[in-house]
Amino acid sequence: MKKLLLKINSGKLLLTILLSVLCTVYTAAQDDSTAVKEEEPEATEIVKLSYHSSNNSIQYLLLKSIIKKGKEQTPVKNKAYTIYLDSAADATKVADVKTDADGKAKTFLPPSLKQAWDASAQHIFIVKAGDEEVISDYSITKSKITIDTATTDGIRNINITIQKQEGSEWLPAADVEMKIGIQRLGGILTAGEEETYTTDSSGTVSVAVKNDSLPGDDKGNIILAVKVDDNETYGNLLVQQAAAWGVKTTTDNNFFEQRTLWSTRFRTPLWLLFLAYTIVLSVWGTLIYLVFQLFKIKKLGKQAAH
Amino acid sequence: MSCNCNGNCEKNSRREFLLTGLLATMAVAGCSDDKTPFTPEENVALSGEKVKLLSVDGQVIEVDKAFLKPVPDLPTLSNSEERKGMPGKKFVMVIDLSRCKNLKKCQSACNHMHFVHPGQSWVKIYQMQDAEHTAPYWQPTTCMHCDEPPCVKVCPVDATFKRQDGIVLIDSNRCIGCRFCMAACPYSTRVFNWETPELPEEVASQHYSSETSVPQIKGTVGKCDFCPDMVRKGELPHCVSACPNGVFLFGDINEDSVTNGAETFRFSDLIKDKSGYRLMEDLGTKPSVYYLPPVNRNFPFESGLENQPAEEKTGSHH
Amino acid sequence: MENISTLQSERITRELMPQKFGKRGMIWTGALIIICLIGLYAYYRQLDKGLVVTNMRDYVSWGIYISNFVFFVAISLVGSLITAIFRLANIHWSTPLTRIAEIIAVSAIACASVIIIVDMGRPERLVNLFSHGRLQSPITWDVIVIGTYFFISLLLLYIPLLPDLKILNEQKNKGPKWMSKVYRFFGFFWKGTKEQWKISNKSVVILSIMIIPVAFCIHTVTSWLFATTYRPGWDSTNFGAYFVSGAFLVGSGAVVIAMYVFRRYYKLEKYITEKHFDKMGKAVVLLAFLYLYFNVNEYLVPAFKMKKPEEAHLTNLFAGEFATMFWFAILVGMVIPVLIMITKKGRKPLPMFIAAIMVVVGAWFKRYLIVTPTLLHPFLPMQEVPESYKHYFPSWEEWAIAMGSLAGALLIITFFVRLFPIIPIQETITEEHEKAITENK
Ligand code: SF4
Ligand code: SF4
Repeated sequence: MKKLLLKINSGKLLLTILLSVLCTVYTAAQDDSTAVKEEEPEATEIVKLSYHSSNNSIQYLLLKSIIKKGKEQTPVKNKAYTIYLDSAADATKVADVKTDADGKAKTFLPPSLKQAWDASAQHIFIVKAGDEEVISDYSITKSKITIDTATTDGIRNINITIQKQEGSEWLPAADVEMKIGIQRLGGILTAGEEETYTTDSSGTVSVAVKNDSLPGDDKGNIILAVKVDDNETYGNLLVQQAAAWGVKTTTDNNFFEQRTLWSTRFRTPLWLLFLAYTIVLSVWGTLIYLVFQLFKIKKLGKQAAH
Repeated sequence: MSCNCNGNCEKNSRREFLLTGLLATMAVAGCSDDKTPFTPEENVALSGEKVKLLSVDGQVIEVDKAFLKPVPDLPTLSNSEERKGMPGKKFVMVIDLSRCKNLKKCQSACNHMHFVHPGQSWVKIYQMQDAEHTAPYWQPTTCMHCDEPPCVKVCPVDATFKRQDGIVLIDSNRCIGCRFCMAACPYSTRVFNWETPELPEEVASQHYSSETSVPQIKGTVGKCDFCPDMVRKGELPHCVSACPNGVFLFGDINEDSVTNGAETFRFSDLIKDKSGYRLMEDLGTKPSVYYLPPVNRNFPFESGLENQPAEEKTGSHH
Repeated sequence: MENISTLQSERITRELMPQKFGKRGMIWTGALIIICLIGLYAYYRQLDKGLVVTNMRDYVSWGIYISNFVFFVAISLVGSLITAIFRLANIHWSTPLTRIAEIIAVSAIACASVIIIVDMGRPERLVNLFSHGRLQSPITWDVIVIGTYFFISLLLLYIPLLPDLKILNEQKNKGPKWMSKVYRFFGFFWKGTKEQWKISNKSVVILSIMIIPVAFCIHTVTSWLFATTYRPGWDSTNFGAYFVSGAFLVGSGAVVIAMYVFRRYYKLEKYITEKHFDKMGKAVVLLAFLYLYFNVNEYLVPAFKMKKPEEAHLTNLFAGEFATMFWFAILVGMVIPVLIMITKKGRKPLPMFIAAIMVVVGAWFKRYLIVTPTLLHPFLPMQEVPESYKHYFPSWEEWAIAMGSLAGALLIITFFVRLFPIIPIQETITEEHEKAITENK
């Protein structure tokens, strides 16, 4: 049943509905105080595999495993899985992986699979947990992305071409949706007007850059990024390339380095230091003087005693 | 594709992506000349050991073993590094009130990840109504990471401090628990560990880090930290990635962009187009958190009432 | 004539010598010690469990510990008022009261330091204030000025005590051995030579001048702990003067109480006379008017404008949850004592004593009102917190510790009086002597 749940989305949906109906009926028969407890839906383990390629070069697989219980999701920690390429045989084993605290595991493709990898343009990945096959049909087709930048009539353009491999040939990949933009912290800021772009029948798309004069590094460079997300055929692809289209920005730390009231004790405002030290020193100077006077009284007293 | 994608695909791929970006930058660094725009992620603790792998085009290439993990290990930071912050960055957050329906996912994610004491929270969602006849709205608040932070001004021992990347953090190993900062903060953002925090064994035994704010320590203050540890890992703060409505946008003002993971905006355009503002501007605290007004809302205000605890359903205007 | 004078001195000495605790004294001291011990036990619980044993929570993050601290700092100011301001204003009648005022100041400051440490979440990190101290923080300023004031008060207590220590030393056979050891340790070197007198007189003058600005500082800086925040009710430029004037009032109230008690139980009617009560009464009335004046400033001006953040706070004080306490503090702490003491009959010892108790009790509640209600009116509404966070009433541990610290202050005074003469003997002899000379002429 577990396998069924994992594999068939609609089946799972049906089951969930069925279960919740059952639960409702069941809990209706209970009194209120136990209702919350009884409604607890069954926990389901969900394993997800994704293929990633970066700059048409490095490729890796990510596996994520969670337990889903009602609305709550908890990662499955420290669980071992085995990933295979094309067939579940020792010869085509990609790796044994173990999930981390977030329920995630990652692997590269080992060089030993070179022959198998080169043999075809399309591959299937298989994931086994022990003897149980949890994923058997995650497939990807090899592809590559080219970024080309050009400035015509003062307008900056990014031209993207995506190709897929078919047999030993590279053909245009049409209808691939992607983000085209500038790599920023945590996301890609789209370069043109649209959120995403899709390749035409020739596998290309061209974007006129709207987001001009963005801050770049100290040389004025920005990173252009093209990202295909969870594509059914190609997986997750990312290509990045530098372009000198940004505005030169140098880090200005003056604000932080000021002497202010909120600075650290090593950057106390000078006026405050001056004031505080003058007051403290003059008052305590006098006090120390008075203590000396006390000692003088003491000395005088001893002298008088003699 | 047999991926059992339950709507959190977007979120997952978002995280994975950032890591990919990391690798890609390495690749750029490796194969091109000095064109590399930014230095490769200096954050990762390289192991020095290489692993061989197969590239997309069937080549055998080498990468550092550190990248074999879903999230590469980061070197442990010294206290003084934590106090300095990340050079060249200045973090900023935009909270879009028109998208908020009081789901409180941000809050539960934050509380969960930081082991915030039950009953307390660092992210709060206020049910606001400015005056009798004005519209009610939901207002999530975090620490504002003020540029003129009154809380930092009053701390007698530098236990709370402002870093060059704009983040205001707490060193719970230094804090004497005087609570002056709590009185000074006009946004009521700080909470106090009145008793020994309830923590799982492995968390309690960790060494406190200002960047993770974990583990919280009895007798010291705590508050939202803008998750610099997540940023170092290339991920977004917990509240940002937890919100299904994309209310929180996080970014670097030096890059002029903010993102909620799914959408990325140019910060200056967004603030201009939507008339962004900051809370209590007249106090001169200069917050790093901006708000977009609750106009053209995605949800009616009332839809948020479902998630409100019973005793607070009656609106309180303040 | 010499003879008379010696006899007189002996009588004065005898009458002013510290006395053994009677039965009442024993009960009093025992009760104070028990209260202190209960406070200690409560503090042990707090150390063990954390500040959760208090009823302070994230909104009311400062409670009666802090208001008690402010109260102590306020009372301590009287040392400077009586010893310094009166002296510089050439007011002589207050001489017998100087030591009372100084010991009140010293014990109050000592307990203020204790209570502020109690308030800290991590008291063992007190050293951080010195190893990592940050000059921008008003807390650092407070630590510095309070330390300074404490030291000056100690000197002002000690230097004028020297001649009396000599007298005590000469009474060797009386009292247990350890006591004469104490006297000898502190005062063996005082011989009363001319040079010694010269130096000590000069020192006292310097100290009396110095203590005035420092006294203003301690209470002004303490008020800044509040006034440097944005909170409605604290965000006021009036705060320093408001605090200082209130402090003088409560301090002189405390002195009046002490005067009455010592006079009664130590039979000091000859030294603390009705004249003293009369004069102190006038001073208290004046100070009460001064404090009322600052109160009007503090409440009327914002109430006139009713700015939004202030509104909830002020209405709460005037007519809401805290109204009873607020009007109690105003009426009992200021108005009624003024009405009593403004009449000549009211300035007799007993009515004065009652009025002074009202002043001090009213003042204690006043500090409570300064700290707590403000914290219950933050800028953003109080939502999403447990119900207990939205109210504040001190837990028994807080009461026990606060009362323990008050008892501690009284205990310090009690022990001091057991050891040392509360009315300066030498000074009284000299004054009598001078009086006799002028009369003879
Ligand atoms: S919001 Fe409060 S805690 Fe955060 S920086 Fe500003 S004053 Fe400090
Ligand atoms: S409670 Fe801690 S962080 Fe806050 S002001 Fe005091 S020492 Fe600083």
